[in-house]
Amino acid sequence: MTKLAQNVVVKGVIRAGGLLPSALCRARKMLSMPRGGLQAASLTRIMGLIAVAAAVVLPLLVGQFYIRLGIEALLLGGLALSTGILLGFVGLLSLGQVAYFGVGAYISALLFLQATGSFWLVLAAVVICVSALAAVIGAIVIRTRGVYFALISLAFSEVLHKIAFNTVALGGSDGILGIPAPRIGFAGIGQIDLRDDGQFYYFALGVIVVIYFAIRRILATPFGSVLSAIRDNPERVPYLGYNPFWFRLLAYVAAAQVAAVSGMVFPLLRGYVSPDLLSFETTTRSLAMALVGGLSSVLGPLVGGGVITFMDSLVSSLTERHLLVLGLIFVIFVMTCPDGLIGIAARRLTRRERK
Amino acid sequence: MANWVGYLHLVVVPQAIDGLIIGLALALVALGLTMIFGLLGVINLAHGELYMLGAYAAFSLTAVGIGFWGALFVAPLIVGAVGGALERFGLRRLGARHDYAILSILLTFGASLILRDLVQFAWGPETHQVEAPIAGIVRAAGMILPAYRMLILGIAALLIVGTWLLLYRSPLGAVLRAAAYDRQMVASLGIPVSAVLTGTFVFGSLLAGTSGVLLSPIYAVFPTMGHDFMLLAFAAVIVGGMGSVSGAVLASILLAEVQSIASLWISPVWAESMVFVVMFLVLVFRPQGLYGRLGAA
Repeated sequence: MTKLAQNVVVKGVIRAGGLLPSALCRARKMLSMPRGGLQAASLTRIMGLIAVAAAVVLPLLVGQFYIRLGIEALLLGGLALSTGILLGFVGLLSLGQVAYFGVGAYISALLFLQATGSFWLVLAAVVICVSALAAVIGAIVIRTRGVYFALISLAFSEVLHKIAFNTVALGGSDGILGIPAPRIGFAGIGQIDLRDDGQFYYFALGVIVVIYFAIRRILATPFGSVLSAIRDNPERVPYLGYNPFWFRLLAYVAAAQVAAVSGMVFPLLRGYVSPDLLSFETTTRSLAMALVGGLSSVLGPLVGGGVITFMDSLVSSLTERHLLVLGLIFVIFVMTCPDGLIGIAARRLTRRERK
Repeated sequence: MANWVGYLHLVVVPQAIDGLIIGLALALVALGLTMIFGLLGVINLAHGELYMLGAYAAFSLTAVGIGFWGALFVAPLIVGAVGGALERFGLRRLGARHDYAILSILLTFGASLILRDLVQFAWGPETHQVEAPIAGIVRAAGMILPAYRMLILGIAALLIVGTWLLLYRSPLGAVLRAAAYDRQMVASLGIPVSAVLTGTFVFGSLLAGTSGVLLSPIYAVFPTMGHDFMLLAFAAVIVGGMGSVSGAVLASILLAEVQSIASLWISPVWAESMVFVVMFLVLVFRPQGLYGRLGAA
């Protein structure tokens, strides 16, 4: 049987068994319902477009401070997205995606400072290094499930934090300072100067949008279908001829990649990296973003990134108790709407359409 | 030759005893974690904060004049009440849902942030010190050991044995183990399972609080003190096997010894990372941990 035929059979069997109540399947189901309110696929598209439009317009309306805050929101949103991918599409809660974010940031800082000014070379280096690291670590942690995975990923990021904090070559607790923001050339078409905040903002937005569509695209392939099937029924999938290990590992590496690329751009904003990037604080914020936006959607963590970053900035200008506020946000969202703002918006929009 | 024996006798052995003391205090935290996981299926990320709360309660209670011994009884009760409230008004309200495991982690995580910030608000970000109830040293076999640390050793060992007796030699323990095995079945026998679950959470919090009180004269008391200790406890629970009682105790001692002995030769920071290396190795070769789950035959 060819791979293609196998895929068709597998998808057929899984669907027929009703084993795939994933976002994809739900979308299909809603599409086939004539009176089912606003169709889910177009719903996601509408919300995505609104989010992108808002992000594009933002710099025209606000000053430099908020533009820089917006860049931070986009890049931390990328980190949250990395957590969201693992949770929403592999079913693994990672408390340590910040590890790859930090590794990307440190590699980028070292290379821009000492080796090259070429963004593309550094990008290649980050992708290669993080692929290797994530493949090795992933091969160990992917074997575990559920709570084990959460705790081990947390331990892994804590170890990296300690290493960064105590290695003199990496600047110790001070981190690495004076990283030059590069100009990024696009094969003769033109270039982007990251020293300009406006250009940096649109560049970061471009990076995140590319990542977003790449993920949406990957999830729509047979690979994505098998992944959702593994999440929903890991016992059944091996009988269909797929080894869940490799699918999980690939998804793990891909999620690490998303975090690493966001992390790689991050130090260019302020010109330094510090071990704080790898700390539990960063994990806390990125988890809050994923939760507030919506845990199992692709758009959710990005929306959450914007909301939490701006809220954090507002809260810390008012009070020192921003941890307390974050904690309350966790508790309130978990207790009342675990599917986040995207879930709320989706319910609103569908209801309106039905009237 | 004599040099080596002397080194072993006066440096390595006292360090190993020190590791054992920390290991037993760690075991108290890990015991609570593993029991809560075994019965409720919850990873309590606020457990480190409960430990911290015990230390802060000890600090304030001794300042009020209740004395260390009074604090050793009262502080765990306070921590137990906080833990009970977290279960009753937080985790219980989530109800039975398919993503309970993940939501409960996020909920206890939020609770840990709230507790940490409230403590920072009430006591300030600076470190505090608690006076040890007894000073002086104990001489044993030519070694000089701080008396208070020996006291910790005794109390922690007593509590661990007590917990073991409660779990494996008492009717209540039989109920607990049965509930960990099959909650519905136990409920259908007319046993108030929800009270058993809350009780377990309270008991686990109590142990963490006690550990916080015991270690407060040794370690400084500060708002983030629970974080690293909780990670260690989680490593112990993973190595021992999630939900296993004897596994948690043995792994706590093992990890504390690794950290303690390793810090003789490498800097304490790397010694701490050694613990996680051990954890990774155990996961590679024995992903289910050393022992089986509470309630499993």
